[in-house]
Amino acid sequence: MIVAVVDAQNLVDALGLGAIYALMAVGIGLVFGVLRLVNFAYGQLIMAGAFTLAYASRANWPTWAAVLACFGVVLALSLIMEVAVFRPLRTQSPAVMLVATFAVAFLLQSVALLIVLKVQGQLGVPASAVAQLSRAVTIAGVDIRKVTIVSLVVAVVALGLLAVLLGRTTIGLQMRAAATDFTTARLLGVSANRVIALAVVLAGVIAAAVAVLLTARTPYVQSDFALHDTIIVLVGVVVGGIERLWTATLGGFAIGFASGVINGALPTDKSVYLPSALFTLVILVLLIRPAGLFARGRSSVVERV
Amino acid sequence: MTRSRPLVELAGPCVLVSAVGIVGSFTSNATAIYFQTAIVSVAIVVALYVFVGNSGVLSFGQASFASVGAYAAGIMTVPVESKVGTLPDVFPLLRDHAIGNAWSFVLATAIGAAYALLVGIPLMRLSGLAAGIATLAVLEITHNILHEWTKIGPGAGLLSLIPETTGLLQATAGALVVIGVAFWYQRTRLGRQLRATREDPAAAQAVGISVHRQRLWAFALSGALSGFAGALYVHMIGSLTADQLYLELTFLSLAMLVIGGVTSLWGAVVGALLVSGVDSFLGQAESGVNIGFQLDLPTGTRLVAVGALMALTLILRPSGITGGREFSLRWLEAARLRRVLAAARPREEGS
Amino acid sequence: MSTAAAVQAPMLEVAGLDVRYGPVAAVRGVSLHVGAGEIVGLIGPNGAGKSTTLHAIMGLVPPRAGEVRVAGHRLHGSAPERVARSGVALVPEGRRIFAELTVEENLRLGLAGRRSRDGAAEDFAAVYELFPVLREFRRRSAGALSGGQQQQLAIARALVARPKLLLLDEPSLGLAPRVVDLVFDALAEIRERGVTVLLVEQRAQRTVAFADRTYLMSNGEIRLTLTPTDAADTDRMVAAYFAA
Repeated sequence: MIVAVVDAQNLVDALGLGAIYALMAVGIGLVFGVLRLVNFAYGQLIMAGAFTLAYASRANWPTWAAVLACFGVVLALSLIMEVAVFRPLRTQSPAVMLVATFAVAFLLQSVALLIVLKVQGQLGVPASAVAQLSRAVTIAGVDIRKVTIVSLVVAVVALGLLAVLLGRTTIGLQMRAAATDFTTARLLGVSANRVIALAVVLAGVIAAAVAVLLTARTPYVQSDFALHDTIIVLVGVVVGGIERLWTATLGGFAIGFASGVINGALPTDKSVYLPSALFTLVILVLLIRPAGLFARGRSSVVERV
Repeated sequence: MTRSRPLVELAGPCVLVSAVGIVGSFTSNATAIYFQTAIVSVAIVVALYVFVGNSGVLSFGQASFASVGAYAAGIMTVPVESKVGTLPDVFPLLRDHAIGNAWSFVLATAIGAAYALLVGIPLMRLSGLAAGIATLAVLEITHNILHEWTKIGPGAGLLSLIPETTGLLQATAGALVVIGVAFWYQRTRLGRQLRATREDPAAAQAVGISVHRQRLWAFALSGALSGFAGALYVHMIGSLTADQLYLELTFLSLAMLVIGGVTSLWGAVVGALLVSGVDSFLGQAESGVNIGFQLDLPTGTRLVAVGALMALTLILRPSGITGGREFSLRWLEAARLRRVLAAARPREEGS
Repeated sequence: MSTAAAVQAPMLEVAGLDVRYGPVAAVRGVSLHVGAGEIVGLIGPNGAGKSTTLHAIMGLVPPRAGEVRVAGHRLHGSAPERVARSGVALVPEGRRIFAELTVEENLRLGLAGRRSRDGAAEDFAAVYELFPVLREFRRRSAGALSGGQQQQLAIARALVARPKLLLLDEPSLGLAPRVVDLVFDALAEIRERGVTVLLVEQRAQRTVAFADRTYLMSNGEIRLTLTPTDAADTDRMVAAYFAA
């Protein structure tokens, strides 16, 4: 019998991870909505931001400057990705786009490894810029890391702002329309480039924020930073339902929260087969509801024969 | 000429692979390993192509079948005396018996096929994104089990002392077998039915082709061939861990297939040889190589180069180097046709 | 019909339009024009290339050859959003409304085709007057509307953009006769307001009777032009349709 111990501390920490994964899911979902492209390289945007923070802290920059640089680098890289990779691929089939972003992800990771090995002579760089977020405060007898609180706040605020943007502004309305039926949106006058650029920028901003939060949780940055997290989030997004933003976000949050709880609850020797259990569950869900757990009806992207 | 075209299509890849093997046999032992690696890569990529190329469905799971096949072939060919010492916890059936080289290939193929069939029965209903994620899940599950279950293997440790029987000859022979089977399959009615589903699933279903079943056949065959290729691999390296036939291999084999051309056997072979060649050359260059001048590349360049090659191919020429077409001597036919036409044209002077 | 139409330059000029889908020639050397304030019909059997012609005007499919001019401006080869902002609105085949957005949000999307949002409130009021059912349903999701109501929404959405040229692709498709009447009544009203219209339709007779002129298209080419007087002559219509 597996005895799982779930305590308040574990729950709160898992909430923090869920919040971060929810943000990543939004970033991936936004780009998917308008471009119908799963950006496997999203994790590399986060990695780039994390490296920026790492190098900035090595150069002893003040925290605010490091964070600003992080946002700058991630946004620049996002826009480069959009122009150099997404745009030429827009006319290709979903399979080609999938493999292409996979290739870009691998490429960026390899470039990072190359640079780090050349410059540092080792695999990773410590990042102390946001280290103070790693410290804990005690609330109601529970030790909560500051980064958990910040993650939750950032997630709630970001999601709230996004909801307002999408629900109440004109450009948000255009984005929602473009995500449903891009061609019709265009013939109504919606500018494809503007909507896509906005999605890419928003996704970039979120990636930068996630980079800050993840670096606070794991202050050592390697070339495969956030790779594992991205794969998990992608699985969560597809399981939740990639077609709509809120199902994708829910999927991301759910898988983050579940991983956090299970990882913390199970004793180490029993949890070695956790990945197998998790992935078997994923396969089961995909077989029963290929469009996603929370999705309604059939989807156009994920077919089933 | 049309009658011999299938022969030409098969001959192209076979001759190329054999040529690589022959050239490799004239080089030093140190360089021959690169040729071997290239040829074993051909086997792995063609096994992947049998499913992905014919069905048009993306799968990240073939490395699992190669891994399982490699483990089966590996464990069963390690001498019993060693196993008792290094793998004490393994099932007695595995620990107390050993089989010969040829049988290890049979075993690996059978296990690869069985595993693929088991996994494929539920999974082949999925397409697109769901298939990609589901096969990725299979890869992760396989890796997890191989890494942890010490009753079927060394778990997180290294499986060593595997007889290194794959030299250039065995590698080339093995690759030719895989190419032959792949070629045979795509020319059978089964193979052609599957290709029909790739082009237009709705139309194929309308004429009564069972998409699920056709994909399952290809998936099982791909699993069998992957297992076989895994055996080739493990007999070349002589040792094995769970991480060796996992994410990096998945990426590389997909890259090779895409760069060569996803939809043709010729593409799979060309892609594998080319990328493997580039990979080997750069790997050598990372530790310093003399090509007229000294080239000393920083560690990690080879991965960057392969990644860049793959990304560029997808963006600039998504159909791959071969354009997704099989090997043909069409240019030779065209030249001959032109000569024949020129000779048949009535002469203007003197008529 | 506006007598001024004959004097002004045509609102829409298509010359030698050639559109291919791969090796298939869907539109071959099509030339037509629509004068300002006119309603011109485009009829023909299935697969004649009528929709493709509209799509080419709208920039949804690139023409192999030929020219498209709207109010004198060259638009061939432009992206759909640019064509829309040049004053062309398309009511696509099958309505293509956004089912998950509300009726009002669907209408607001139509504003994207305008250069400025001034007077948007008046335009909304005008379309609500034309299609009262939309005002009633304006906060409901568009997916809750019936087929005929969705068609009204699609037309209203296009009108909100204050287009110079309105293109309609088979608006009566799949609609009950009563609703078809409603659509044609709306088109008559639109004609009153001076909007230029190019109407692609399956209902040959009704269109020929209603429009100022109607082109008959078949196999990618324009075969002949019909006028309302031809509508009564059923024999001529049938002969034209099947001879083409």
